[in-house]
Amino acid sequence: MPMYGDAGLKLVQHAKRTQNLTHLPPYQTELVRSVAKEVRDLHKDATNLLEPFLKVQGSFDPSTDPATACTLLVNHLSMRRNKRCLLAYHRTRTDKLEDLVWSGHDVLDLSAQQTGGESGSSSLSPQEEDYVRQYGDLLAAFKGHWTDIDLTGSLEPPKDLFIDVRVLKDAGEIQTEYGAINLTKNSQFFVRQGDVERLIAQGYLQKLG
Amino acid sequence: MSYYDLDAILTGAEKIPCTFQLDVPELGYLDNNPGYTLKSGTKVLLPLWLAEMLAIADMGDHQNPDKSFIAFDLPPAVGKDVMAALKADPRSVPIRNQSPNFYNLAKHMMDLAEERELHAVVRKTFLTRAADISLHARKSGGAVSKGEGSNLGIGAAGEEFLRGLDEWERILFRKAHDGARSTKQWIEGIKKRY
Repeated sequence: MPMYGDAGLKLVQHAKRTQNLTHLPPYQTELVRSVAKEVRDLHKDATNLLEPFLKVQGSFDPSTDPATACTLLVNHLSMRRNKRCLLAYHRTRTDKLEDLVWSGHDVLDLSAQQTGGESGSSSLSPQEEDYVRQYGDLLAAFKGHWTDIDLTGSLEPPKDLFIDVRVLKDAGEIQTEYGAINLTKNSQFFVRQGDVERLIAQGYLQKLG
Repeated sequence: MSYYDLDAILTGAEKIPCTFQLDVPELGYLDNNPGYTLKSGTKVLLPLWLAEMLAIADMGDHQNPDKSFIAFDLPPAVGKDVMAALKADPRSVPIRNQSPNFYNLAKHMMDLAEERELHAVVRKTFLTRAADISLHARKSGGAVSKGEGSNLGIGAAGEEFLRGLDEWERILFRKAHDGARSTKQWIEGIKKRY
């Protein structure tokens, strides 16, 4: 028979697995919903339990009725446990999302690819998509203070100034010091690494050799 | 240990053998009997997050200030048999099979109960095993995936040992392993540059 807190535990086990993955697995909408429902049910139970006491005495004294006190405590602890599981699950995911934003991935695009590109289905919840968008804006605003330093750029000095790249998906025309290049799918270019670093991180280009 | 720490939360799910000290009409479901009164003296397995607070909560009974809702026993993972085995040889016990969060669990039980022996045994266990973990971490090869058969010098017994590490020891192993590897890479990088 399922116990209170079992669904929450499943969420945390999901989160634990997520920590070791490079991508973000689909959001567990059903589990989250059932944990939230559990909390609502528990709250209702607690209110019902307390009602007769509040009506008669105006307050509840645990020492006169230890059995009810025990039930209420179990009830309260179950809610608290569920809350902790929910928060930990979401925090693990937002931590991961922040990392992805900092490493320059196009998170929303990435999550759509994972689910096979079906429109409307994403591995993020709508709230998480919102979070990523706003966090991305924040990061952009922060980086805007130092226009001459790329804060999310690689810390490794490049070995070669110029590299071969292959275009994985159409990225349109970009301007470089040596003129404009039109990046169409499957074409190859010999370009300056600094010009295309962003595009490689975003998955438009692949570095060769 | 943080509120958001997943291992801490998972430790909370470990089951503790408990005995109820009073009749509770509403809690029959804890003993798979919803709708029935949970009788005083009933033995149930409760998750640590529940047992911990029930065991220390004050019942408000002024005649017996020490009495709480439940009495509890040590879970088998940190019970007599395991302790005896650890005393004999800390390295030969795969503590992960007892609990993936063995040390966390032991820590919680020590907080709840006066168990001097548990403390001594767990402490010695960690010290002995940590030395071995660091040894294995330095020996295992450059591959990121640990415990592959091709690793030099670990041998079957070593792999067996590494499989039995609990979460905390695994973190230790990974840190020791990555640390040794990064140092090696750094030194090689310096040699190349000059």
